[in-house]
Amino acid sequence: MTEQTTGNTVVEVRGLVKVFRDFWRRPKVRAVDGLDLEIRGGEVFGLLGPNGSGKSTTLKLILGLLHPSAGTIRVLGGNPRDVRNKHAIGYLPEESYLYRYLTPREALHFYGRLFGLCKSTLNTRTEELLAMVGLELAADRPLGEFSKGMARRFGLAQALINNPRLIVLDEPTSGLDPVGCRQVKDLMLALVRQGRTVILSSHLLADVEDVCNRVAILSAGRIRAEGRVQELLEQPDTVRIRIPSLPEQEMQALLTQLRERTRQEPDVDHPSMALERFFLQTVAQESAGGEDAAALAPFLAAVPPIDAADRRRGARKKEATAGDGS
Amino acid sequence: MLQDGRSGDRVMARLGTASRQFWTLAVLTMLEAVRQPLFLLLTASALVLTSLTPVLAMHRFGEEGKLVRDSGLAFQFVFGLFIAGYAASTALSQEMRRGTLLTVLSKPVGRTTLFLAKFAGVAASVTAFSACAILTTLLSERVAERFMTGEHLFGHITDWWTAVRLLAVPVVAFALAGVHHYRRKGPFTSWALLILLAGLVVVLLGSGFFDRGGRWAPYDMAVQWRIVPAGILVTVALIVLAAIAVSLSTRLTTVPTVTISALFFAVGLAAESFRGAAEQPAACLAGLVRRIVPNWQHFWVCDALDNGGVIPAAYLADTAFYGAVLCAGILFLGVLSFRSVDLK
Repeated sequence: MTEQTTGNTVVEVRGLVKVFRDFWRRPKVRAVDGLDLEIRGGEVFGLLGPNGSGKSTTLKLILGLLHPSAGTIRVLGGNPRDVRNKHAIGYLPEESYLYRYLTPREALHFYGRLFGLCKSTLNTRTEELLAMVGLELAADRPLGEFSKGMARRFGLAQALINNPRLIVLDEPTSGLDPVGCRQVKDLMLALVRQGRTVILSSHLLADVEDVCNRVAILSAGRIRAEGRVQELLEQPDTVRIRIPSLPEQEMQALLTQLRERTRQEPDVDHPSMALERFFLQTVAQESAGGEDAAALAPFLAAVPPIDAADRRRGARKKEATAGDGS
Repeated sequence: MLQDGRSGDRVMARLGTASRQFWTLAVLTMLEAVRQPLFLLLTASALVLTSLTPVLAMHRFGEEGKLVRDSGLAFQFVFGLFIAGYAASTALSQEMRRGTLLTVLSKPVGRTTLFLAKFAGVAASVTAFSACAILTTLLSERVAERFMTGEHLFGHITDWWTAVRLLAVPVVAFALAGVHHYRRKGPFTSWALLILLAGLVVVLLGSGFFDRGGRWAPYDMAVQWRIVPAGILVTVALIVLAAIAVSLSTRLTTVPTVTISALFFAVGLAAESFRGAAEQPAACLAGLVRRIVPNWQHFWVCDALDNGGVIPAAYLADTAFYGAVLCAGILFLGVLSFRSVDLK
């Protein structure tokens, strides 16, 4: 994945602390404990951590939904509790909190009116979003009847109703099938290509690895590791070489040479396709000629041909080629 | 001067945005409240009980229609209390716990605007209930047995025709709402409430074409319109109770909210008894309670309607103003509470 940071700081957090108190105002839980964070424009920033690590609390502090106990937060250059800042922010909460008796169309109209969108824009945008998340056929069903996956899709639609610059997604792929997960990830990449910033909180590491430029790993309210995904995951003391299959004799000769040079037994296997891509291809074949096939084709093309590690390798190769050219 | 003009434009733009958001949130709150099955159940129960009172009444207490009138207003008050408490809790407390408020507050909506809009939505739903209750009381009072003399009437007459039509209204409302839900998948509860209200208006207007014996007669609705101001005062009291419930909902769940609101109601009904406590040992406490707790006796004026009495417009205006001042004070505390609460 190419790096597309624009350099400006979208979110800046310094010394953030959040202590939840009980009814008697005694400290109960120290959910965030001295967090320093900087999120730049035009990137997908991943916030990882086990359950109870403070991910959702951090996001809610950034959105001004919680009062910090200590520290400062600047979002889009302003106070996160400033209502004016929120015109440029879209938020998908961890759970799909829905108005049970509203239909998706009514709910999107409701959220759109809060942003002051005019009727024609709202109508157009509502239909586009419903089509994008695959809910156009369920547009007039009460949200209370939705499955978890459908609710999540709607949640994504309402987060984008205002064409936000900063999109905060808390567990966006929770409850979605692999097809839906891929669609959400492609959507995040498409948003970043448009210059927006995405903050993604998840404990599904494969999803984060696929889309994030930089990540921060939280545990017990503190950042334990932070940096570019590529740099954090690379093992610089190990090299993997990919070659076409060779006849057995030549292969053994090569292995013998490697053995002599490295004084270690080389690890040899056949590279495998990512399970996600295999699943998507299989589903596409099963539904060939039907609606699913037509619906699947566009985002299948957006799926990288190899896994995430190879994508990073491809990015490095591109950089190296660009360097040679200069 | 140019800067002043621009800052003035900005202020006007912000006011316009806030008022649009207020209206949007208030309408949604009202829709969510009236779509709750319990809202319809309480409204229909109050309507049916009030409609049955003239049929079940065994005594007239010295005035025809008094029992029905007092019972109708009492049902409006008590059922309205539970509706106000439940609607307020649904509007705020449950939304805070369910998380829907998180999504709303992530949009450019101020907490003060949101809180006041929630109150407005709850007050609107309480007013809708009160409208049904007042119409039912008017019609029930007409149904109540009276001693009539006329061309074809003599003796104690119960207006059975109006009684049957009145009792048919909830049945028809539920049936039509069910058909609409089956054919068009429309929301059952809100449509039932709408048809209920429309049906009561139709029965009220239609009753003018018939006399108490069920025969065609020159148009005369023959209802005691002086009940309406009493019903309006009860509605104002319910709106004050709604303000208490909404403010409590910023920190408490449904059961504590309804319980404490009921406590305010009970203590407020006894507020007059604290007035004469100046010489008592707990005079300070009594005075404090009398000043803090709303005096619901100001809103309960059934006795003034006895023997043909009417409620003066000046009293109606003064008491409505008292209710408005109470609401303002209670909502101010509610706003302070809501602005400082963490939404987990």
